[in-house]
Amino acid sequence: MNGGHDLGGMHGLGPINPEPNEPVFHEEWERRCFALTLACGFLGEWNLDMSRRARERMHPARYLETSYYEHWLIGLQTLLVETGLITEEEIARRMGEIGAEETD
Amino acid sequence: MRALKAENVKKILQQSKGARVDVDVPLKFKSGDRVLTRNINPLGHTRLPRYARGRQGVIDQHHGVFIFPDTHAANGDKNPQNLYSVRFTARELWGDSASETDKIYMDLWDDYLEPAN
Repeated sequence: MNGGHDLGGMHGLGPINPEPNEPVFHEEWERRCFALTLACGFLGEWNLDMSRRARERMHPARYLETSYYEHWLIGLQTLLVETGLITEEEIARRMGEIGAEETD
Repeated sequence: MRALKAENVKKILQQSKGARVDVDVPLKFKSGDRVLTRNINPLGHTRLPRYARGRQGVIDQHHGVFIFPDTHAANGDKNPQNLYSVRFTARELWGDSASETDKIYMDLWDDYLEPAN
């Protein structure tokens, strides 16, 4: 797919500055996102290449504006919804609950 | 539906075989063969990037037989194929303003490649 992920040769993205001793995860939510993706993969409803394809199907503008683990999270949501394991409404409801807890 | 229990995570991750497939598939190319990448623009998943389509390269080495990601992503068909490291000159991919000496190595499957004359 000629999506936003296939950016070899694209100009204007700025320099590549590798961090010395880069940690595997920069934020706790990234660790949880990675674990959740692996755990859901073992449900057997899709394979690794299908999960890559789910990330690549993001709108190119959104893909370029989001971080690596945001791609993982959005791809996982796509697969969970498409296989009927959860619904968009359930995701929205839970995000609302968490948002309410955090503002309490 | 199967589920991964926390106590099994380490064992199962260590057992993972990755994408290598233990079957023999007749070799289409050997090291040193000149190849031409296909110009494909599939709506599905592919590991052949846009900048390397319709370009000439040379087979550097054979990695073995691996799951073909394009069909595996589309419908779960493993479609095992030979995977090669293919060497391209920077100028073949990026034109005359690229380095004269740089090379780019790309891992490419049988179905991405045709013999070059």
